[in-house]
Amino acid sequence: MNWIETPTMERVEHYLDLVTFRHELISSNLANVDTPGYRTQDIDFESEIRRAEQRLQSAPGSPHVQEVKGLIERPDGNNVSLERETMALAQVQLQYRAGVELLRNEIHIVQSAINEGK
Amino acid sequence: MNLFGVLDINSSALTAERERAEVVASNLANVETTSTPGGGPYKKQLVVFGTEQPGQGKFALTLSRFGDLHARGVKVERVVEDSAPPIRRYEPGHPDADADGYVSFPDINPVEEMVNLMGASQAYQLNVSAVQATKAMISETIQILS
Repeated sequence: MNWIETPTMERVEHYLDLVTFRHELISSNLANVDTPGYRTQDIDFESEIRRAEQRLQSAPGSPHVQEVKGLIERPDGNNVSLERETMALAQVQLQYRAGVELLRNEIHIVQSAINEGK
Repeated sequence: MNLFGVLDINSSALTAERERAEVVASNLANVETTSTPGGGPYKKQLVVFGTEQPGQGKFALTLSRFGDLHARGVKVERVVEDSAPPIRRYEPGHPDADADGYVSFPDINPVEEMVNLMGASQAYQLNVSAVQATKAMISETIQILS
């Protein structure tokens, strides 16, 4: 961390990284909606964010990707659920926007300190 | 992978689904085709999808935060011919009729093809909305600068 980066910024950065990672997985699930044998992938967001929080000082490790259980499987072995993925996509989008807003707010605070509160 | 890499994943799906729609269109167009350059009636074509590892050395991967990749694109692995035997109809006057007066027509069910086409178009739309979501996320990030 350097003088211009606040602790909140670092936290938000980890958060945005995780949200982007989840967005990648959801996009992959959506791209493979008709691929025989493809299994829905996702991360457990809460436990991953807790893990990132614990290791704030060290470099971030790869999140643990798991197959999603309890989805209805089609005869071709594919278990992508359109409803689940579209809802997750909407969720990820809003989470990302929240993170960016937080970051922008944080930058604004630093900016106002630079401008001596003017 | 970063957000630009996610665009690659969804665009691979757009390409694959369009190819599927093209094959369905070809099947529908040739529903009554009794002679082909290879001889015999037209054979129904089927696409087989497979996952695709995103290309190494791409710009999007260079900016990757997490080393290993789980996200996969999709590609058309191969196009196969349906093995179902042709339907034989008695039409003695037809130029492609055999000695007994039977003509071989391709075994294509237009309803089945339409359902396949609907599936392709829905999957296409779905991936377009994913692209729009990614685009919105990228432009939000850019606006931090302003």
